[in-house]
Parts: sequence; C-alpha cells; structure tokens
Amino acid sequence: MKLVYRGKRIEGLLAIIPANERSFLDEMDQFDFPRGRSLKLKEVMGYDRHRIVDGPVCVSDLAVAGFEHLFGRGLLGRDDFDALVLVTQSPDYFMPATSSVIQGRLELKHDMFCVDINQGCAGFLVGLQQAFMLLDQPAIRRVALVNADVMSRKVSTRDRNSYPLIGDAASITLVGRCDDDAPIHANIKMDGTRRDALIIPAGGFREPSNPDTRTQHTDIEGNLRARDDLVMNGSAVFNFVQTEVPPMIQALLETAQVDVDAVDTYLFHQPNRFMLQKLADKMEVPYAKMPSNVVEHFGNSSGVTIPLALALNLRERVLGGTLTTVLGGFGVGLTWSSMLLPLGPLEFCDIIDYPQVS
Amino acid sequence: MDEYLKEMADILDEESVTANDRLDDFNSWDSLAILSVIAMADSRFHAAFSALDIRGATTVGELYELLSKGTKAS
Repeated sequence: MKLVYRGKRIEGLLAIIPANERSFLDEMDQFDFPRGRSLKLKEVMGYDRHRIVDGPVCVSDLAVAGFEHLFGRGLLGRDDFDALVLVTQSPDYFMPATSSVIQGRLELKHDMFCVDINQGCAGFLVGLQQAFMLLDQPAIRRVALVNADVMSRKVSTRDRNSYPLIGDAASITLVGRCDDDAPIHANIKMDGTRRDALIIPAGGFREPSNPDTRTQHTDIEGNLRARDDLVMNGSAVFNFVQTEVPPMIQALLETAQVDVDAVDTYLFHQPNRFMLQKLADKMEVPYAKMPSNVVEHFGNSSGVTIPLALALNLRERVLGGTLTTVLGGFGVGLTWSSMLLPLGPLEFCDIIDYPQVS
Repeated sequence: MDEYLKEMADILDEESVTANDRLDDFNSWDSLAILSVIAMADSRFHAAFSALDIRGATTVGELYELLSKGTKAS
C-alpha cells in the first residue's frame, strides 16, 4: 500500500536504555551449545553486548524517565504536545492502555489523545504514520511518539536463538508540522498468515498462562523455552526479510523518483548485523550507508532500533543538517514498511541511561 | 560445485568437505550452519528454503542438488 504525507517532520529524538549491560561472553555458558559454536555465532551475527532491564522494570518506567528528562532540560514543555502514541508489545497491563498509564504518571493535561499500538520491529514506521495522520487535526500541534519494549522479560535466558540479541529500550520522538509541503512517500504491507514466525504463544486469552505453559522444553536445535516465552523462527524471518524488503525499497524510490545513490542513509530496523549486511548486499547499498551496529552495542529492542541507529551513528549530522533518509521496518505480524523523508536538523538526538546516573 | 564445496567447508568450519560427507557427522551442523546455508541459497541460488527443507538433505552433495533446484518454500 502506498502512503503519502505532507508538511510533517521529526523535531527531536531521545532514546532511553537500561544502564544494565550484559555481554555475550558472560552469558554463553547458559546455552546448551558448545562454546566454539557460540563463538562462531557471535562472530557471524555480530553479537557483543546488550542492554536489558534489571528487575521488573516496565515500559512506562522507561517512558516516564524519558519525558522527565525532556521536561527537566527544557526540550519539551508539559503542555506542548497533544497526542501520545505508544508502540509496544510489552504493555504494563492488559488494560488500561500503557499510554494512559504514562499520561497519568506524568499528570499531563486531559486535552490529550492517548493510544497504544501493538507493533514490533516495524513499530517506528507504523507509529510515525499514526503521528502524521493525527497531525492533520488542527487541535494536535505536536505528537510524542513513544516506542518502548522490555521484551527481555519474555525471552528465555536459555534460548540461544533469541536471548543474545534481545535488548530493552524506549524512545520518544517528537513529531510536528512544518512548512515544507514536499510529499513524504511511504509504503506498508502486512501478512498475517505468517504470524507464527514471531510469537509469544501463551499468556494471552487464546492460551492463558498456566504451570504447563511456564515449563521450559528443549526445541529441535537445543534451545530451552516455555510457551510463555517469545519464539522466533529465525530462518523464516531471514527469508521474509530478504524476499520482501528489497522490492519494497525499490518501489518506494520509484514512486518518489529518487535514485538509490541519492539517499544519504538507510536507517533500517536492527535484527542483527548478519541480516542487515545480506540486505545491503542484495540492494547494492554500501555498508557505510546502512548502519548495522545497534545489536552489538545495545541489542534488538524492536521498534526502538531505528531511533538508536540514528542517535548512535548520525547524531552530529542530523543535528547540524539534513539527511535524505530511507527508514525501513520489518518483523512481527508480519509487517514491513518504509518511508523516504528529509531528516534534520533535529533539535536534539540523545541516548540516556535508565536509571540515570547523575 | 567447487565454489559450493568451498563455501560449505567454511560454514562447517572444516579444511575441506566432499559431496559424500554426511551432514549429521559434523558437530558444526547446527542452526547457525543451516541459517548460513539459507543465506547462501539466497545469494548464490536466488532461492528461499526453510530450515526444515535444509534438514531434509543427508549429504553435502544432496544439499547441493536441493539448492540447485531453486525456490522450494519459505
């Protein structure tokens, strides 16, 4: 599906990551695999360190800390935004919405549109699209888009397939209107028939959590996990990404009539370095234009990886100027989406730790 | 086939492999090796295979036959 927006821009971005850092080398003995093979996995996938919450930290905790930072530094006024869009798959509660929890904890004004969106690796794209649509309402001057997940709490520590790459994080992206009326092109596709490729089978209403679903079993590859834990079909996801993403980007650039070389940066979701480099090879994009180092620094925090890739690699360039950027998100659903937009100059583009060490 | 055997030796962490070698005989024939084969199928054979498809092959040579046949599943 082709989408087009006008007169919208990203104003600033803050990422919040748990201060708790774990390393693959310290964790690899918890997996039932020979050390040599785990080291090979580390080398091929680009695993090194990741940030995961220490204890029962929730999405709203990370988000509230981020907003307090913005309010305290004068980067955002408490009354200067009219919608709070939260994209998460690890909400504080089944009900109420975690966006309402954040609004309440911050004691924000009542003249506020709050909504939760259940999206993962394409969540930054889906969230931006929602923010752009909300900004067509005159009463909404600015949207705070929050991407946040604490998915490490739903991944088995003995699952070598998922645990080494998982990361927890949140980001707050301020989205507003601007005078530039040039079209912002985007596209999105979904395929719910492949919903099992990334799933937490139990714990919802379909299969409520019980002692059986909490019991860990060994899979065909030697990973231990329970039905309450996240399970990823790695090869299905790999094939999905390599098959669907290159034609999607090609279609986006054709619609926008922009040459592949005219793009300054391809900011894609960060599943692992291996998959991103295969993608760059296939699209014939130089590695320097497609950051792939978020997993080795922070882990894969689903919808937060694009903000992290930006803040980690391109902070100075988006603070000082404008980058012709292609955003790409792909994952759970399955969902895949991309957007071409001018990024910058941003008012801020920072990463802070939770809890903050001051 | 020679290029393929070289790539398989690299994936399996061996000096060299032959078409008759049984995949299950290699300690390194694990999920990472299978994902590496899937990636090779994508780049070299322009084909998508599932992990289950790949596990269906018994020998290095049989795997080559499977990959050469092109897209099977995803």
